[in-house]
Amino acid sequence: MKFTLDWLKQYVDVKMTVAELADRLTMAGLEVDAVENLSQELNKVHVAEILEVRSHPDADRLVLCDVAVGDEKKQIVCGAPNAKAGMLSPLALPGAVLPGGVKIKKGKIRGQVSEGMLCSARDLGISEDHQGIMELPQDLTPGEDIVQALNLKDILIDVDLTPNRPDCASVIGIGREVAGFCNSRLKQPIDPAELPLLTGQGVPFSVDVQSVEDCPRYAARLLTGVKVGPSPWWLQKRLLAIGLRPINNIVDITNFVMLETGQPLHAFDFKKLTGGKIVVRKAASGETITTLDGQERELETDMLMICDAEKPVAVAGVMGGANSEVDPETTEILLESACFDPISIRRTSRRLKLNTDASFRFERGVDPQGAPLALERAVRLIVDGGAQVVDDGIDACYDIKEPPVLHLRIQRICNLLGMNFTGEELTAFLSGIEFDVKQLDDNTLSVTPPSFRVDIEREIDLVEEIARLKGYNEIPSTLPIVPMSFPEHDEARDLRKQLANIMTSLGFYEAINYSFVAEKHFDMLNLPENDHLRQTVRLRNPLAEDQNVMRTTLLPGLLENVRHNVNHQVVDIKLFEIGKVFHPHAGNLLPDEKFCLTAVLSGRRAPGSPVIHFKNQETDLLDAKGVAETILRELYLLQIELLPTDSIISYGVAGNIIELRANELVIGYCGQISAKILKNFGIRQEVFYLDLDFDALSSLEQARKKFSPLPRYPAVKWDLAVLVADTVGGGEILKAIKEADEPLFEHAEIFDLFHGDHIESGKKNVAISITYRSKECTLDDETVGKAHQKMTDMVLSRFRGQLREV
Amino acid sequence: MEDELLGLKNEASTALAAVENKSGLEDFRVKYLGRKGLFSAVMRKLGQVSKEDRPRIGKLANQIKQDLEGNFSDKLAALDSQTSTTPKAGIDLTLPGRHIPFGKLHPVSQIMDEVCGIFEGLGFAVAEGPDVETDFYNFEALNIPPHHPARDMHDTFYVDDKVLLRTHTSPMQARIMETERPPLRVIAPGKVYRCDSDITHTPMFHQVEGFLVDRKISFADLKGVLSVFVAKMFDDKTAIRFRPSFFPFTEPSAEIDIGCVICHGKGCRVCKYSGWLEILGAGLIDPEVFHRVGYDPEEYSGFAFGLGIERIAMLKYGINDIRLYYENDLRFLTQF
Repeated sequence: MKFTLDWLKQYVDVKMTVAELADRLTMAGLEVDAVENLSQELNKVHVAEILEVRSHPDADRLVLCDVAVGDEKKQIVCGAPNAKAGMLSPLALPGAVLPGGVKIKKGKIRGQVSEGMLCSARDLGISEDHQGIMELPQDLTPGEDIVQALNLKDILIDVDLTPNRPDCASVIGIGREVAGFCNSRLKQPIDPAELPLLTGQGVPFSVDVQSVEDCPRYAARLLTGVKVGPSPWWLQKRLLAIGLRPINNIVDITNFVMLETGQPLHAFDFKKLTGGKIVVRKAASGETITTLDGQERELETDMLMICDAEKPVAVAGVMGGANSEVDPETTEILLESACFDPISIRRTSRRLKLNTDASFRFERGVDPQGAPLALERAVRLIVDGGAQVVDDGIDACYDIKEPPVLHLRIQRICNLLGMNFTGEELTAFLSGIEFDVKQLDDNTLSVTPPSFRVDIEREIDLVEEIARLKGYNEIPSTLPIVPMSFPEHDEARDLRKQLANIMTSLGFYEAINYSFVAEKHFDMLNLPENDHLRQTVRLRNPLAEDQNVMRTTLLPGLLENVRHNVNHQVVDIKLFEIGKVFHPHAGNLLPDEKFCLTAVLSGRRAPGSPVIHFKNQETDLLDAKGVAETILRELYLLQIELLPTDSIISYGVAGNIIELRANELVIGYCGQISAKILKNFGIRQEVFYLDLDFDALSSLEQARKKFSPLPRYPAVKWDLAVLVADTVGGGEILKAIKEADEPLFEHAEIFDLFHGDHIESGKKNVAISITYRSKECTLDDETVGKAHQKMTDMVLSRFRGQLREV
Repeated sequence: MEDELLGLKNEASTALAAVENKSGLEDFRVKYLGRKGLFSAVMRKLGQVSKEDRPRIGKLANQIKQDLEGNFSDKLAALDSQTSTTPKAGIDLTLPGRHIPFGKLHPVSQIMDEVCGIFEGLGFAVAEGPDVETDFYNFEALNIPPHHPARDMHDTFYVDDKVLLRTHTSPMQARIMETERPPLRVIAPGKVYRCDSDITHTPMFHQVEGFLVDRKISFADLKGVLSVFVAKMFDDKTAIRFRPSFFPFTEPSAEIDIGCVICHGKGCRVCKYSGWLEILGAGLIDPEVFHRVGYDPEEYSGFAFGLGIERIAMLKYGINDIRLYYENDLRFLTQF
């Protein structure tokens, strides 16, 4: 809600500075969003009279204007199409600086001297109008300073209204609040006691409200002898200051009265209403209307319409129809001031995607008693402009909601706010904002809110009013006394935190991506048509096509992150994300949401360290595998095996995939992103990934942490070097050794693995160091020798190996 | 005998002083202190000394032996420390150290953990709910019926007529109160979604909702708890103010501002020259919400609050563009 200080002062004495006013409004729940000085900087702009318009000798689109500024005459080159002799217009003289930063200088334009610039309203920052130079009211004196002549200096205040305060969607409503905290009286432009009684006797029009539940009140009056033309400057100025474009005197007056009182009005050209009749009814099926914005709109049968004898002439409470619009030839006007059901108006405005100043007020609730007053105000303003009003009018009232009578318990409000109040204090607060209060007994007040406070319906609403009027900052601060209890932990959440800690300890940074992705990501990952990851939850109204489905995998987001980083020359990347993926669940309203952990690795193994320390070692799949192994070790999930697999993953390099599985349950994969997918994502370096299904992970039982006594006797290490076929995996040999059931075995480690000149092709040398230890004694060579021999024989026979000299 | 002992002592002391390295020291030990060394040889002659002289000579011999052994240990320690403090050739100590890779949580997670930690310290339990939510829990259960103008405050992503992406974490109020009885102290952190995107809005962001329900909970309690939060999250000198606002599921409703942490009240672009920054929405839980979950508002009262994590992180770290959070640029992530 925008208004100016000057406007507000029409209704209330503001006994404070603007800064104080803004603060008081904010603390009363009317948050001031902006305070702006209008036309503070504008100088050297004066009212000028155009005496003569001559053509420019060297330019078709320019004219030369001889203008008078006070006693001085000047020649101005002007490009505006509307410059004509006799017109008054603002002239910026050399030295003026316009709001857009334009500095005015005397100069020549196409060879002709120009001693200033004739200005449009936009040039002066008054409005957005830039169709021609501004035409000023004829009663101004040429030469006068424009800021003074137009009384432009003012302060714009913008209040961010909450939906519960439609009464403050009006300058009078704001004034009422200000009067409350300034202890001054509200000055209404019309005394309600002066309102004429509208009986509907003998008026030359009729009103037939057929949907009374949607239109509890409909008041209308007829004006004749209307001359449609520009509004007087004081009215234009009010509208311009808050950013509304003046249209003509009739439309401007209805807008002005709406802004002043909060009651939307509508003016019909009476001659365009067939049968001189207003019918308020629901749209018939198949009906259409072209609204004032020129759009033809198809109507639905629950939309409330204002119709004449034949057709809809306005969408009730939202926008008028073009077929009954006031135009320059209009001489008779039917002025509507009505009250509509908020839900009905909101439904219609949503459905038509048409939000107007009128619908904004109606859907929040206007004062059901406000219609006659606003009507009278507009009638008087139009009559002031030279029209006549037909005696009497119609005020059709149906089911007008009476304000509720509420009981406010003093003890209740003290308990809820945590401070003490007396009945007198409460009465004083509420009376100050026009509530009617009676004390019923020691503990109870009977309170009736004024009709414009449609938001006050319950005792709790009064509690809020009291808190607001007392000032929230006057309420004490205490800590609640509650029984001690242990808040249960969410184990899944704890596990996620533990995983995140492991990942950061391993050098990964956490990424957070949007939960929605592009459907095309699934193509970019080369997923088969029937892949379950393509079964998505789809948004009906995405912001962009690349955010149209809920993600089913975290990988695309992370690959986009890799691309982003590489494109910004950050090429050493270790990122992980722990987040939800979404899978539709047939038969359920809501999809399944489960957490995944995905990590990507790319670039050097030791980012941040000087190259001389780690050379340029690049990450590879074994880095990803090591991450997986660390996670499993730290989570005590010792039952999970990491096995190379022949499984095909559409985005992975075949043969470079490691599966994490516990028996039949696949927990996740490590792998390398294939070249084709990298190309799809625009990444020009190798990327490895780790993908874990969090739910599967947390379904597994963790081994219990258990102490093993520290060994008391020394260990011995014996080495073993075998020549085996290339196809034999080093890890398989280690696994066989571990599982050999040798009681003295403690640990085995591959310390060398090579092919080479001295080795026949198709074979490789695997050098293994085996640690033996006994719990009972220090081992001697003979005992170890026996065990090692057994182990060696097992390895040789099992893997068809040959022993090599160590 | 006595002369022989003293002579040996002098000879050994001179020899020990001349030792330069560990192998020399070992030679010394073998020659003088070893089982077959010179000192042992002299000691073996002790039996030949007369009975009356024996205690005195024996004592002298022991004294000399202890002295020699003591000097030997000192020499050994001196030689040891000499070796260990000698730098190895070829290490340039001015080089930067080797960096063991080290990662960090996303700033949003860091702030989220901090916020949750403060409330967990006050005894609040943590609960999480679905991101894809029903219209019922997101709106209706919170006293926002269809066609309520408050729906304008939520630019909602819809999946279909009844299903949407939650626009706040407040649905957890309804979900938890529906299944549990007071006293309740719960916070609900999570992702929320609004269809809005510019320098101060992303279509996804993070909120923490919290609520406390018991007998006799007042607005003063709400102020107390949130003041503790602000003092811990920022510092206890941070100014705080409560002002009236509107949420359909709380009444009275409040918005909580803190003194601008950027300009300290002088006025700047971030606080729009007001000196105040809005960081929390809160209020007493509306009796209508209690009715819907079967609590008697005459018996129970409570408060609820909600705050945006990104905004707090922006204020704490001076981040000026909210979109940076979701690009996951490492130049950004490594800063926090």
